[in-house]
Amino acid sequence: MKLRKTRGTRAALLGTAVLSVTALALTGCGAGGGTADATTDELTVLVEGGGLAELQPIADLYKEQTGTTVKLVELPYDGLYDRIQTELGSGSVSFDIAALDAIWLSAFADGVQPLDDLFTDDVKSDLFPGLVSEAQVGGKYVGMPIFTNSEILYYRTDLFNDEKNKADFEAEFGYPLAPPTTWEQYTDVAKFFTRDTDGDGQVDLYGTDVKGAVETEWLATVSQAGEKQMVLDPASGEVTIDDADHLKALDFYTSLLPYAPAGAAQLDWAGSQNLFYQGKLAMMRFWGHAYTQTPDDAVVKGNIGAAPMIAGPGGIAGVPGAWYLSVPTATTKSDAAKAFIAFAYEHNDLSIDTSLGLVSRISAFESQADVAGHENYPAILETLNSPATYARPATPKWQEIVNTVLTPMLQKAVEPGADNAALLKDAKAQIEAIIK
Amino acid sequence: MIGIETNRASSRVLLWITLAVVLVIYGFPFIYLLLTSFKTPLDAIAVPPSVLPSQWTLENYVTALTKDGVAPALINSVVTAVLSTVFSLVLAVPAAYAITRYRTPSGRVFVLAALVTRMVPTIAVGAPLVETMRTLGLSDTSLGLAIAHTTISLPLSIWLMSSFFESVPDELEEAAKVDGASRLGALWRVVLPVVSGGLAVTAIFAFLASWNEFLFSLLLTSVRAQTTPIVIANFQTQFGLDWGGMTALAAVYSIPVILLTLALQRHIVAGLTLGAVKG
Repeated sequence: MKLRKTRGTRAALLGTAVLSVTALALTGCGAGGGTADATTDELTVLVEGGGLAELQPIADLYKEQTGTTVKLVELPYDGLYDRIQTELGSGSVSFDIAALDAIWLSAFADGVQPLDDLFTDDVKSDLFPGLVSEAQVGGKYVGMPIFTNSEILYYRTDLFNDEKNKADFEAEFGYPLAPPTTWEQYTDVAKFFTRDTDGDGQVDLYGTDVKGAVETEWLATVSQAGEKQMVLDPASGEVTIDDADHLKALDFYTSLLPYAPAGAAQLDWAGSQNLFYQGKLAMMRFWGHAYTQTPDDAVVKGNIGAAPMIAGPGGIAGVPGAWYLSVPTATTKSDAAKAFIAFAYEHNDLSIDTSLGLVSRISAFESQADVAGHENYPAILETLNSPATYARPATPKWQEIVNTVLTPMLQKAVEPGADNAALLKDAKAQIEAIIK
Repeated sequence: MIGIETNRASSRVLLWITLAVVLVIYGFPFIYLLLTSFKTPLDAIAVPPSVLPSQWTLENYVTALTKDGVAPALINSVVTAVLSTVFSLVLAVPAAYAITRYRTPSGRVFVLAALVTRMVPTIAVGAPLVETMRTLGLSDTSLGLAIAHTTISLPLSIWLMSSFFESVPDELEEAAKVDGASRLGALWRVVLPVVSGGLAVTAIFAFLASWNEFLFSLLLTSVRAQTTPIVIANFQTQFGLDWGGMTALAAVYSIPVILLTLALQRHIVAGLTLGAVKG
């Protein structure tokens, strides 16, 4: 018995040894993946999933035209931040270009090279004003926008085109039913569509949603209210979140709760999207890219319209959701990296037909003005071109402010009986403690 | 007599019910993951969520398995985990053996020191490890990643093997020596076969530590050596989360470890009870 056991152990050890030798062979021991050792005909770009899809056609064309391979390294959204932070901190990087979310620019500004040479007057005039200002940190351009998103208004065309709805709405509110353009109209339409459609005594269609678990939609509302400095001014350190425009925005935001499904405090992007696709919402404010991604099994498939974000007293406004290409200071291939970024800007329109289908240049958006299937482009264009649209504050503490102050504050605001003014005052104190 | 039998039967039923409840609670996250992998995209993010798919589909598996980089990542995960397991055992066995057999104060300090490394946040050693691997030319290689994973599994492996070696009476080894075996010979021919269950347990833990590891894989790999946990996480982007694809790949990725655990179940149970009869 003991003899068999010994043989078994030996066999196991032998098997393990064979496996490990095979594994060692498979590892390709002559590796050394860092770009420092790589030849100059290869560039490494760190991207997240969306950026990979957007950049792939550009990288393919770059290879075809210049012979330089652009290696796109896909990482998860949160992981990308950690990876860049760690490598920039170590002073030695494995990448030549990084795709940065707009809200990370100020956090990584010290570790990336200025791209001022790329921002010519022509380039600046073909980018949305909000992106040009967002790309600058500490007086230098730290990233070139490669694509941008914005929330737009989605609405159900089957409901809006229904003759009975049109007549009933006009009779009740005194003007024709159409996709709303103002806060007042949005409230009217939301109120109108909130109803019990199957006669069981329960409301099963809501005019809109109210998202409590994400902050960007409320920030857009702040800009719509006329606020020029949302939340805080990073330059002076002044926290503006408790001023009149912020309160006006929060009051409007929460005034929609009677026309929205219960559970707003936990409602995030995915939840909202699902409610709309299930046919439970007549309208939804959501990121513009989703227009081309409606699932086949969505109840509202084929009945979705897109319009610019609504306007408050300050005008139409959204929050730019842009991604930027930046060159780390530590790369040895600065010139090649900048050349690719210039090429990516030049061929920005190649991203139109990707899964995300987003671009950054105004001319690229305009090129699709009358193209069927891209009805979201004019909506994004008008929203981002609006003078009331502002970028989020350029502070390295932004993510912390969002996670620990803004989102919890919104979640309290959407609860019954919330005191919005008091919540904003508390938020101000918390933000001041974070940035001091 | 009938009353005693009835009581026993009732106790047994109660025990089985309790076990079933515990099993369901424990296994629910995985069962939910598995069921979600068969849901349509809309069903997967339904509000409120439903446990069972309203319509069963294999679409998520097609999406997940045809995604760029999935097949290489699965191979990388296997290679890295096997290497890391071998490294852990090769280093942990002699270390644990020496500590338990020589019983020196420095040995005890060493064991404690090894455990302390487990208390350092992984992210804290991330930057130095990135720099070290780059200097050694091991960035984005399975070998480099396996070495990094070994730093995670080695302390636990030493501790586990130490407790297993402790359970083997010295007399057994002495007897082997009387029969002419050297110390190494006794270790190889007598002690290791006795603690084979312990070896299996240690190997499983080391394998799982590498198989599921995320942070080092994120920091140390790019394309060639990227492992599956990173690819699974890639289903989440800034503008959306593909629950179906993510759960399908996660389900596929769970299969090897489930099979491995089932295959070594006998050894694991034997190994886990090995230390219990010590003394």
